[in-house]
Amino acid sequence: MNELPEYKLERIFDAPREMVWRAWTDPDLLNRWYGPGAETIIHKFELKPGGSWLNEMKWGEKSNYQKVIFQEVTQPEKLVWHHYSSIDSDWNELDDNPMMPDWPRVLLTTVIFKEISGKTNVCLTQVPMNATDAELACFADAMANMDHGWGGGYAVIDEILAELKA
Amino acid sequence: MEQIGYTNKSSNLDAIFAALADPTRRAILSRLVEGQASVNEIAAPFKMSQPAVSKHLKVLERAGLIERDVEEQRRPARLKAQNMAAVIDWLNEFKVFWGASFDQLDEVLLTMKKTQKKDADNE
Repeated sequence: MNELPEYKLERIFDAPREMVWRAWTDPDLLNRWYGPGAETIIHKFELKPGGSWLNEMKWGEKSNYQKVIFQEVTQPEKLVWHHYSSIDSDWNELDDNPMMPDWPRVLLTTVIFKEISGKTNVCLTQVPMNATDAELACFADAMANMDHGWGGGYAVIDEILAELKA
Repeated sequence: MEQIGYTNKSSNLDAIFAALADPTRRAILSRLVEGQASVNEIAAPFKMSQPAVSKHLKVLERAGLIERDVEEQRRPARLKAQNMAAVIDWLNEFKVFWGASFDQLDEVLLTMKKTQKKDADNE
């Protein structure tokens, strides 16, 4: 494969860069926004290359664990980390993602902070790392279909999910 | 029978998306939400031949979205929705994760700015 499939999200925040950086790197602020709709518990946060961020997201009784290993920390402009999402509650890596076996085990995550006249442009990218062909294909399929509502199946999916939860 | 669902080692997302991209197949899935059905029962509301419906069922089966009963002669099709639900839940979580987090970050920054202003006013 010539080019790695990539997830990219870019947004301008109406705040100076130093403040945005603080919101990303102070765990007491980070846990207030990271992880939508979940209670985010940061078990460990070492902001330095090789340091780890151990993150638990709780939805009621259900918890999801993630491990981040920082690679680059350049205040206030750049963060690079390895993002592990197939993690058990003891912070060990699982062989396969329990939800989706071919989901890439590690995503190389890069966050760039740029100040533009008092506001901050944040650009986040994630690409699979050391991925197998199956993982690359899985991620590429997911990215390619993300904007098209998973093959246009949203309505029926909602219906099916609602049925299952009933 | 070997399961051809997402539990296979090879990526099956493409098959799922392709299966869902067709309105007739989505309608068939909707029908199966109500319960299992034979090819005849599925074909009835569509102006379609049984072989055409069978073809759609094969696509859905290969994508791991339905299964067919091999014991019964009429081979009713049944939703295998747990597979799809798990996959779609996972994808949806990924899809909204950063966007929704960024929405929340907006709120946190707003609060930080207010606090900073209050501190500055108090000085």
